[in-house]
Amino acid sequence: MKNTISASVAALLAAGAVNAQDLPQASNQWFANGQAAIQERLARQPNTGRAKNIILLVADGNGVGTNYATRIFMGQQAGGLGDDFVLPYEAFPNLALVKTYSTNGQTPDSAPTAAAMNSGVKTKNDLINIMDSVAVGDCEAGAKAGTKTFAEIVSEEGKSVGVISTARITHATPAAVYARTVNRDWEDNSLVPEGCAQKDIAMQLFDQMQAGVIDLAMGGGRRHFIPEDVTDAEGKTGKRTDGRNLAQEIVDMGGAYVQTEDEFLAMQAPGNAPILGLFEPSHMMYEADRSGEPSLAEMTEAAIKALSGNENGYYLEIEAGRVDHANHDGNLARTVRDGVAFAEAVAKADELTDDADTLIIVTADHEHAIAFNGYCGRGSDILGLCMGIDEAGEKNTGEPLLGANGKPYTVAGFLNGAGSVLKEQADGSYSGSYPELTQEQATDLDFLQPALVPMSSETHSGEDVAVYAKGPWAHLFNGVIEQNEIFHVMNYAANPK
Amino acid sequence: MLSRRLFLATLAPALAAPALLRAAEGPLKIRDLYARDRSLSDLAQSLVGERATFAGFMAPPLKADSSFFVLTQRPMAVCPFCETSAEWPDDIIAVYTKRTVEVTPFNVGIEVRGVLEAGGYKDPDTGFWSLVRLTDATYG
Repeated sequence: MKNTISASVAALLAAGAVNAQDLPQASNQWFANGQAAIQERLARQPNTGRAKNIILLVADGNGVGTNYATRIFMGQQAGGLGDDFVLPYEAFPNLALVKTYSTNGQTPDSAPTAAAMNSGVKTKNDLINIMDSVAVGDCEAGAKAGTKTFAEIVSEEGKSVGVISTARITHATPAAVYARTVNRDWEDNSLVPEGCAQKDIAMQLFDQMQAGVIDLAMGGGRRHFIPEDVTDAEGKTGKRTDGRNLAQEIVDMGGAYVQTEDEFLAMQAPGNAPILGLFEPSHMMYEADRSGEPSLAEMTEAAIKALSGNENGYYLEIEAGRVDHANHDGNLARTVRDGVAFAEAVAKADELTDDADTLIIVTADHEHAIAFNGYCGRGSDILGLCMGIDEAGEKNTGEPLLGANGKPYTVAGFLNGAGSVLKEQADGSYSGSYPELTQEQATDLDFLQPALVPMSSETHSGEDVAVYAKGPWAHLFNGVIEQNEIFHVMNYAANPK
Repeated sequence: MLSRRLFLATLAPALAAPALLRAAEGPLKIRDLYARDRSLSDLAQSLVGERATFAGFMAPPLKADSSFFVLTQRPMAVCPFCETSAEWPDDIIAVYTKRTVEVTPFNVGIEVRGVLEAGGYKDPDTGFWSLVRLTDATYG
C-alpha cells in the first residue's frame, strides 16, 4: 500500500513538472549552464574500486570563508570578476561540510583536527594522535593512550607514505601523519620537559623513516633536526640539545637530504631509502615572498613521482600550512596567494594521478575569524574596498560604498587580530576609529584587513570547512560530517569490504 | 658627437636620480630594501649612508629605556599555535634612535627617519643581530 501511494505521488509530481525548454528563460546562458550541470551529474557513476593511492590535501585554516576569498582572488587574477571562478577542487564531484570542533574546543587548533583525519577519532586541543582521556602534557598517560595512525595501517599493507608541508614538517598537521604527542609544541628534544619519556616530534619522524613507515617528508623546520652547534645551508644553527644530527643520520642510512631549491631540483630518488627535504630553519616562505625554495606544487610533483614507484600505492598528505599563518597575521593578501599555491598543488596531484585508482581528498582543518561585508558590486577586489552595485550593468560602479561614518570599507575583515581598529592608548585603555582607507592602501601586499577585537594574532574559528573529493569511494563524502569521518572514508576506500 | 652607448650611459643616471631622490624623501617600505633573493636591493645599496624614511611598525621593545627597537613591515603578530617562541621575520630594520624610545603599540603605523646602514652587526647590549639599520633616528 505504501509503495502504491509513493508511486502515485511521484507520477503527480512528474505530471506537474514544466518542460524546461518551454520556459521564457530557456535561452538564458545561466539556464543552459544549469541544465548542463544536471546532465553531467546524472551521468556520474560512483567509483567502487579499491583506492590504490590516497592523497589528502589540507589547506590549513582554509574554511569556507577563506576559500571564498581565494576563489575570487584567483578568478580576478585571471582577469575575471572572480565570483564565477572555479578552483580546481571545486570541480570535484563530491562534497561535504565538515564540523571541526575538538573534544574540548568549540574552536579547534590544528593538532586534534589533524589527528581526526589521521586516526579517526576526535581528541583534545594540542594533542596529536593521543586519545582524549589524556590531559595535555601528561607524558605518562599519553604513553598508554596513543592511536595507530592511517600511515601505520597502510604501511603494513605495503603502501609508501609521504608528507609535505609549507609549515615546519614538525608542525601539527604534518606531524599527525607520523607522531603521537601530548603537546604539539614538542618539536625537538629541547622543548620536551625533563623526565618525560615521550620522544620529540622530529625524532619521531626520524624513527618512522628508519622503521620504513614514512618514505618522504618535505617542508620547513630544519632547526629541529640538527644540533645547536651545527649550522645549516643558511648558516643557522639547530635547536637540538641531544647532539643528534637527524638529517645527517638520514644520509648515513642511504637516504636523500636536501636543503635548497637547487638540491631539490637535482635530487635523485634514493630507491628504497627515505627522502627528507628541509628548506627552511622554521616555516617555508609565504608564496608571495618565495625565493630559493620549491613551490607546494613542485614538492607535490616530486613526491608523487617518487612514491608512484610502489606498485602497492601510497598515502600522501600535503599541507598548505601558511594559509593559516597569513590569516593569523590578518594579512589576506598573503593568505590568498598561499591559497592559490594550494590550488595549483591540487591541480598537479590531479594531473599526475588516475581517478580510477586514486582517492583525492581536499579539505581544511579549521576556519578563521574572517568575515565579509556587503553589498559589494561584482568585481570588487577581494583585497580592497567594497564598490557599489551597478544597477544598469554587471561590474561594480568603481565607487566605494560608505559606512554610516562616511568612510569606505573593505570587502573582507577579521573579527579579531593585529588589524584591530582599537589601539592601545597611553593609559592602557583601547579605543580607535575605522581608518579612512584608499583602494591603494587596502590592496597593498602588507595591508592588514580591519579587525574588531584587539589581539596580537588573529584566531581560528569553529565554523565549518568543506571537503571535496574524487576517485574511489569519494561519494561517501556527503552532507554535514564529523571531521574524523575523513579517516574512515580513507580507510574504507583502501580496503573496501 | 655622442656615441649611442655613451648617450645611454649618461642618460641612465639622469633618469635614475629623481627616482632615488623621491625614494629618499618619501616613506619607503621595508620590502623595498630587499631583492627577490633576499639580498639588498639596488635602491637599498644606493641609500646606504643617506638619511631615509621608512614606514612600518614598532615591535615590542626588547629592553626598557632603550634607544633601540625593531621596525617590522607588518605588526608583529605572535601566534601561539604557529610558534613555540617569538621569531623575527627576515624583513626588519634595527632602529637606533636619537632619544630614549617611547613605546608605540605594535599595531600602530609609524614612520622612522634615520641614516641607513647595511652589513652584519651584533648589538652589544641585546645581542640582537641585524643586517640593516637606521641610526640617529627619529620617529612618529
